[in-house]
Amino acid sequence: MADVLLNRLREARDAKGWTQAELAARVGVSRKTVNTVENRVFTPSATLAIKLAEALELNVEQLFWIER
Amino acid sequence: MHDVHDVEQAERMGRARSRIFFVLAMVFFAGQSAYFASSPATRDSHARIGAWLILVILMLLLLATGGFLLKGRKVRNLLNDETSRHNRLAAQAMGFWVTIVSALVVYVESIFDPVTFNEAIHIIVTLGVGAALISFAVRERRAHRIG
Repeated sequence: MADVLLNRLREARDAKGWTQAELAARVGVSRKTVNTVENRVFTPSATLAIKLAEALELNVEQLFWIER
Repeated sequence: MHDVHDVEQAERMGRARSRIFFVLAMVFFAGQSAYFASSPATRDSHARIGAWLILVILMLLLLATGGFLLKGRKVRNLLNDETSRHNRLAAQAMGFWVTIVSALVVYVESIFDPVTFNEAIHIIVTLGVGAALISFAVRERRAHRIG
């Protein structure tokens, strides 16, 4: 069975009080990308995962983990 | 860091792009259906072949670049970010498979009913490019609707 990458992007973004568009602007991606990552439709690259974590001032492991 | 205004503009343009690509592919298929429905004696006019060729080249350009080449680099980078690049690659893969399968079908068909070289190329390219463009448009539309 394929591993599933889970995330707490929405909670972390809400904690900052940012909209998807605001987070997208800080990371340099489209709102669609933030939305599809939040909804686990799209698995981000390592680069994007690190950028998202940096923008939200978290470690990547705090933001993303694998469901086993 | 980008401006939120750029993100919102890219969002609007991305939604428009998925609609435009879908409609363009449908118009393309409709045009080619009319082409194959007409008699073989009249359909291979220079105008018809030229129009088909121009549309194919345009669609390939859109698939290769994501379109909006005249827009600023910031907005274009947002339009063609990781998700869109992923969707474009998946659409190109879909185009590849449709091209191969249609080539095999045309090959087998030609054993029973002769198909000219031009007809074969026309069918294979039309299906491959059209399928890739529709696949990209559908993936993008789906991604925009989630949430």
